[in-house]
Amino acid sequence: MTVFAVCGVVIFIVLLSFVKIRRLIPKGAPNDLASHLQRLKPAPNNYVFAYEGGGMDADPAFNMRSEHADIRQTASFRKPREAGRSFIRVPFRRFKPQRLLRAQLSGDPPKNPDKIWSDSPTLGRKEARPLHDDDPFSCALDLLPLAVIVADPNGEIVFVNVAAGELFGYPVEDLIGSNTIKLGDALKSPWPFADSLFDASGRHAEGEKSVREVVAIRKDGVEFPVEISIKHISGPTGAYSLSIVMDRTERNELARHRQQLAHLTRVSTLGELAGSLAHELNQPLTAILSNAQAAQRFLTAEPVNLVEMREILHDLVQDTHRASEVIKRIRALVKKGEIETAPLSVAGVIRDVVVLVHSDAIVRGIRVVVITAPELPPVQGDRVQLQQVVLNLLLNAFDAMESCSLPGRVVSIQSSVDPSGEIRIAVRDGGTGISRDTVSRLFTPFCTSKRDGLGLGLSISRSIVEMHGGRIWAENNNDRGATFYFTLPIGNPPGSVPSRVAP
Amino acid sequence: MTSSSVATVFVVDDDEAICRALGRLIRAAGHVVACFGSAQTFLSADVRTAGTACLVLDVGLPDINGLELQREMNAAGKAMPIIFLTGRGDIAMTVRAMKAGATDFLSKPVNETDLLRAIDLALQRSSHELSRRSELEAIRTRMSLLTPRERQVLTLLVKGRMNKQVACELGIAEKTIKVHRARVMEKMATRSLVELVRVTDKVPPFSASPSIS
Repeated sequence: MTVFAVCGVVIFIVLLSFVKIRRLIPKGAPNDLASHLQRLKPAPNNYVFAYEGGGMDADPAFNMRSEHADIRQTASFRKPREAGRSFIRVPFRRFKPQRLLRAQLSGDPPKNPDKIWSDSPTLGRKEARPLHDDDPFSCALDLLPLAVIVADPNGEIVFVNVAAGELFGYPVEDLIGSNTIKLGDALKSPWPFADSLFDASGRHAEGEKSVREVVAIRKDGVEFPVEISIKHISGPTGAYSLSIVMDRTERNELARHRQQLAHLTRVSTLGELAGSLAHELNQPLTAILSNAQAAQRFLTAEPVNLVEMREILHDLVQDTHRASEVIKRIRALVKKGEIETAPLSVAGVIRDVVVLVHSDAIVRGIRVVVITAPELPPVQGDRVQLQQVVLNLLLNAFDAMESCSLPGRVVSIQSSVDPSGEIRIAVRDGGTGISRDTVSRLFTPFCTSKRDGLGLGLSISRSIVEMHGGRIWAENNNDRGATFYFTLPIGNPPGSVPSRVAP
Repeated sequence: MTSSSVATVFVVDDDEAICRALGRLIRAAGHVVACFGSAQTFLSADVRTAGTACLVLDVGLPDINGLELQREMNAAGKAMPIIFLTGRGDIAMTVRAMKAGATDFLSKPVNETDLLRAIDLALQRSSHELSRRSELEAIRTRMSLLTPRERQVLTLLVKGRMNKQVACELGIAEKTIKVHRARVMEKMATRSLVELVRVTDKVPPFSASPSIS
């Protein structure tokens, strides 16, 4: 959520700056938005500075696309180092005297040294600073940790902030004037500026924000995932697309870490359950062995009882299936994999987990009651992750009843459709309940009431449930014990799961 | 009521597949088998130990813990040798079971030779127990035929008193004691005092002083 809030603020700032820019730049002046934005950039090299009332020389040879002298300097930024051509004078007017103007110089020394300073290292760098202090908008844009890119309808970049340069690995001035196609592999994921935002069909209405995830390319050719928010604005100075680019690498990394952590806790949970799981596997093996040995004995009889033999073989097949089912379930939980979302039956998820904890419950003298509302609609989600949540809640419930008298040891797990149209799963125990000082931190990491607990189970459960678009909470029961609830939306459309990953 | 009646092996396991498989195996070994899916059905199924019997019991039953069932059976006088089967027997559990009279404690999956040997042993024990119990029953029946006076005489006799002493203690003539003593010997179907002592010794409540009611 914070990311989107930041985006909102940024867009607001950028819009504000546009308003301001439009006010500042009069008609007939070098009023191209890009030139103004370029003027605000720091100038490591190849810049000239001019005070208001002066002028600046620009090279007409570099005008690639515009006939208007006002905009030519924008074009000239493309090849700043090519030298040896005639200059045209671009007047700057109406700027306040103390405002230092800056533009890129194309090679030859300026004609009018009174008014135009070449980019001597001292001047260029020193003077760039007051310029920034002077303009809060440009400061704001450069302070932003997010990359801001402004491009025209052809995909030509007219402005980038410092963060954008850093993100893509180019000097800022190298990006100005180049096409956005350079930043994203058009084949793999067409850069939205040129290809989709300004397409003829006008899919993106003006002012509409679009957010997408694409693959971008750094200067060194390395591809990396980005999330890009684009807004498209048009006004008297032309149409522009405003975009904020966020590096998703870290966020993806974070998601991966979270997944690894979830996997780790899953494995450690299974470790705790190892004895019970061995028992689950032992049951069918016991039946198989006894059946096989019984068959060996029956075969020595004359005549062989074929009916009996057939039954034994049938049971052998059944029990072998049963054993492999147990292994499959364990393997599914241990599996380290990408999150796969698919339509799931909640009842099925619960059943799978209840089977796994079956013998653990018996050992602890706990009865597990499963109550499933008839005809529950399927949810969209990752089976293993949801199983992990159920497993975690069930084992917590078991632990909570450690000190309980035997007859009261019942854990119920109930799934139903709640009034708001979500599927609600409630795991109710008759244990000690949640203490007042724990309740607020229940779902935070490393909060545990167990002697040897890591305190990660519930926090991971929460992130899984939230990732699925649901909620998780806990309440103490009126009589005794506590109930943990979580909800899952029905028919969550595929693809919405990853975008819900909380930052 | 004799040990020659058919030996029955009861199997109690909540796992239907195991129940069936064990049942088959034990049947294949020539025993009569009765399988139960829960301790409750086994308890309520009035399996009076009519003959030699033993129980193959899964420790991890959902309704009653196997050890509790054992306790309950002992309390209800339905005691029979129990062979415990467990998926994960720990030492504490094994010790408790053995103390409570388990014949054997086998872990799943159980090998047929181990299981059948345990069953044979258990049935043997059961048959011993059965004959001991029927003998006891017979002694009790015989003892119930005694009159209160004869009981008193018996009590003192097995304590090693001589006829004279008994007569003195009970305040009756020695001659009468002799008559009582002969009746006791007859009713108890014993021929010597030694035999009488041995027989009455088998009835534990007898050691307590008999009530003169």
